[in-house]
Amino acid sequence: MRLFEFALLSGVMYGLFYAFVGIGLNLLFGVMRVVNLAHGDLIVFGGYLAYVLENDWHIGPLWAIPISVPMGLVFGYVLYYVTVPRLRRSADTETTSLILFFGISQVLEAIATIVFGANQVTLPSLGAPVSIFGQNYSLSAVVSAGISVPALLLLYAYLYRTRLGLETRAVMADEEEALASGVRVRRVAVTAFMIGVAFAAAAGSLAMFMLGGVNPVTGSQLTVTAFTVIIIGSLGNPLGTAVGGLLYGLAASLTQAYLTEWTGMVPYVLLLIVVLLRPSGLFGKRARIA
Amino acid sequence: MRNYLAKRRMTGVLAASVLAATGLMAGSASAKTLTAKGAPSVITVGTLYASTGAFATSSLPQYAGLQFWAKEVNRAGGVYVKAYKKKIKVSIVALNDESNPATATTLYNQLLTQDNVNVLVSDFGSVLTAPAITLAKNQNKLVFDVSGTGTSFFDNGADPNVILTSLPVSSIWPKPLTSLLLQLKTKRVAILYCQNDFDGAQAQAIKGFLVKGGVTPVYFQGVPTSQTDYSTLLQSIKATNPDAVLELGYPNNDIAFLNELASTGTHFKFALTVFPGQLPALFIKDVGVKALSYTFTYAEPPTVAYNQVNIGLGTTAFQRAFAPADPSSVNFLNVAGYNAGLAVQAALQNATSLSPAGLHAGINAVSGKLRTLEGNFRINNAGAQVGELLPVGQIHPAGNRIAVKIIKPAIAAEIPMVNAKPLYPAPKG
Repeated sequence: MRLFEFALLSGVMYGLFYAFVGIGLNLLFGVMRVVNLAHGDLIVFGGYLAYVLENDWHIGPLWAIPISVPMGLVFGYVLYYVTVPRLRRSADTETTSLILFFGISQVLEAIATIVFGANQVTLPSLGAPVSIFGQNYSLSAVVSAGISVPALLLLYAYLYRTRLGLETRAVMADEEEALASGVRVRRVAVTAFMIGVAFAAAAGSLAMFMLGGVNPVTGSQLTVTAFTVIIIGSLGNPLGTAVGGLLYGLAASLTQAYLTEWTGMVPYVLLLIVVLLRPSGLFGKRARIA
Repeated sequence: MRNYLAKRRMTGVLAASVLAATGLMAGSASAKTLTAKGAPSVITVGTLYASTGAFATSSLPQYAGLQFWAKEVNRAGGVYVKAYKKKIKVSIVALNDESNPATATTLYNQLLTQDNVNVLVSDFGSVLTAPAITLAKNQNKLVFDVSGTGTSFFDNGADPNVILTSLPVSSIWPKPLTSLLLQLKTKRVAILYCQNDFDGAQAQAIKGFLVKGGVTPVYFQGVPTSQTDYSTLLQSIKATNPDAVLELGYPNNDIAFLNELASTGTHFKFALTVFPGQLPALFIKDVGVKALSYTFTYAEPPTVAYNQVNIGLGTTAFQRAFAPADPSSVNFLNVAGYNAGLAVQAALQNATSLSPAGLHAGINAVSGKLRTLEGNFRINNAGAQVGELLPVGQIHPAGNRIAVKIIKPAIAAEIPMVNAKPLYPAPKG
């Protein structure tokens, strides 16, 4: 029973982290139909930023979050104007974006190898373990969950409590109708892109603790995890991403506790089940074929 | 008669033309690679390395060790090749597999079929060595396997296609470890391993030895090699109340496991991971001295020094030559790469031809007689390295470094090192 309790709570903590990892990717896809295969690499660069701050500047790694957010916003702005307008002119935005961002991913991976080397970089634990219900949890996991929740709520507030958020949801629902209704689509798109990249960069410093560190190829694995999470929740729905992350985290944690040999497979079995039973994801809207 | 003579002249002219043409073709071919006496101008050693990915941490230092061997040999005028009775310089043809077994398959094939290298040396570890062994068997070539110890490579009886140069095969590797566990009277042993040839074979071997000694592991589970989250796994292990915990993974797994132990304040009486003994500098950087302290690991050269050698440099001399500025920065994989070069050198010195069979016969001729910086070099008829057993060591803090103190269990009596008593139960770091 104690193991179950631990697996449940640990699964929730990791799930919130995975939701944080996936949320930026989902925003990009929801608004622009851009498949950002470099998402994981952007997270990894956030991780490297935390590493540099701690090792070279002796600044606590959590400061990487407030520092990486404005950096991510600026980088997202530049990346948007370099890539998206051209992508949108292509006949098939999704496929072209897949190829383009695959290339960007490879470039980022190569840059990371040149600058930081091929080895894993890690950070020391944030502090002594935290006892919850009589069991020890890593402080890093607790802090990570504690940061993920307000970050997800912040994005929720943006989408559901601001005018730009309303416009963003309108574009997610139907871009052409939104455009016809006077929604400033380009502004929505560039803002979403900036927020998506900023979220990825911020998730990086948490990845340093939740994944035990990063190396240049961690990004590919994170991109796969992020896609799994957002597909479970539903593409283009940030709320679904939160639920998808939690389900992914719980599935991984409970499998580690009770079906260890299947650890690598069960989260993806969950993905298959969701796709087969609800192709649009748990929170996806069914398409009406007229 | 005139007709007969004319025919003979014509036949002679044709024969001379054919011979001349053959000679010209052979001449143009040999102009690139062969000297006048038919010896290649250079011995090409094909190998792969991983500059990125999960295995880069281990692959790059191994490759650096092999490069160092080539540099040393060439500085001495080349390697003596018995087949041509002369010294020939060595050239390494190295391709980057980026830790990807699929890429490795393509590149090994390229080395064998397009580059036609004289000698093939595999990349680090079982995962990246497996494609080389498959190709070598299919194409009847010989691969010098540096550190791929997976039992499946050597379980088909006599094998002329593979020679394991460094580590003992996984099936005998853990003998000293299990001997120590039995000596310490540990009754409850937990084994967590990664699902790959290297770790899986070791885990099975440990389980087998323990069961033979009357100890059935209380926890025996495999996880993907990509595993980085050990929180719930640690709790599962803790729930079995183990006397000893063995985590068998690659460096990134060991780092994540040890960091999780530290961050959750979990302490076991006996915790062993594989790679701190091989890559101490990396583990000090990524795990820290405190978290490593009093855990156990395998003690490989240069932690264990073999200085009585009859080929190449001894362990201490190698450390000084390889990294004059900081000999202590030399790790096991540097040694393993260099040792693979020495095995190639020994094969060439004794082979009557450069064919796979010739090279294999060359290395067989010195098996059991060769003493390198990794100790006694002996292979069995399956090509598996059986020259030395790997002792177990316990990590002690030594300022901002670590010292691996070797524990000599009964079975490893032949290990000629300073012995230390294990601190068991291990004190908290």
